[in-house]
Amino acid sequence: MGRNQVELLVLYHDIQSMLLDAKQEEDCMGFTMEGEEKLKEAMQEVERKIETRYLRTFERLKTRYSHPIVPVQDGTCLGCFSRLPTSYNERGRNEQEVFTCENCGRLLYWVA
Amino acid sequence: MTSTELASYLKETQFIADLKSDTKNAVIEELLQPLVDAHLVKSKHLVLMTLKQRETLGSTGIGSHVAIPHCRTLSVSEIHIVAGLSRNGIDFDGIDGKKVQLFFLILAPPQEETNRYLPILGKICELAREKKLREQMIKAQDLNEFIRIIQKGK
Repeated sequence: MGRNQVELLVLYHDIQSMLLDAKQEEDCMGFTMEGEEKLKEAMQEVERKIETRYLRTFERLKTRYSHPIVPVQDGTCLGCFSRLPTSYNERGRNEQEVFTCENCGRLLYWVA
Repeated sequence: MTSTELASYLKETQFIADLKSDTKNAVIEELLQPLVDAHLVKSKHLVLMTLKQRETLGSTGIGSHVAIPHCRTLSVSEIHIVAGLSRNGIDFDGIDGKKVQLFFLILAPPQEETNRYLPILGKICELAREKKLREQMIKAQDLNEFIRIIQKGK
């Protein structure tokens, strides 16, 4: 469950980023965006699969931060750059649980 | 973004001179593979899913035998470009329906602070629309030649 939820949150976030870039890509670079509605439907499909508690956290964080979910690199939250407890790292890397940063509250995703 | 700056993102291991795939999904995966092999991508299937969602938004086949599959994804920690050439061309649902021979895969992290992602994307679009450069890029035999051609752009 943990792994799926982390991945769903990442996908949900990445689709939102994509939609934000869409206008600039269309206006400045000439990409066609005829599938915006279809992509929004796909995003809603992902949204439905995210557990309510995580979705609430995501939406609450979005009111404060442009990126509610951020990468973790070398044990550091790349949202606020604070060190995370060592105990987080092993469990977080395995994506067994959904973690939030103790300092800024952002959702965490351990990158390569 | 200058052509020289763009060229600095191209690496030997991230240039495929002869793509083997013959379908849209397969070529996206083939372009992604060098980044997966180099452990530059956290989750291959998640990136594939995101790239496919981007194609749902609108094909990244910009016409004239060029496609630029791209997305922001939390699965990478910096911008990566993979360039690839298909000698026979691949159906990619491009806006003009022509088979695609020149590919640029671009991945960028969402929180990318240097704001290079959209300028890179714009620069590639600009170069690819120059007929002469495009035709030379499609015929390039190796990365050095490919970079020399790119650097001829503005």
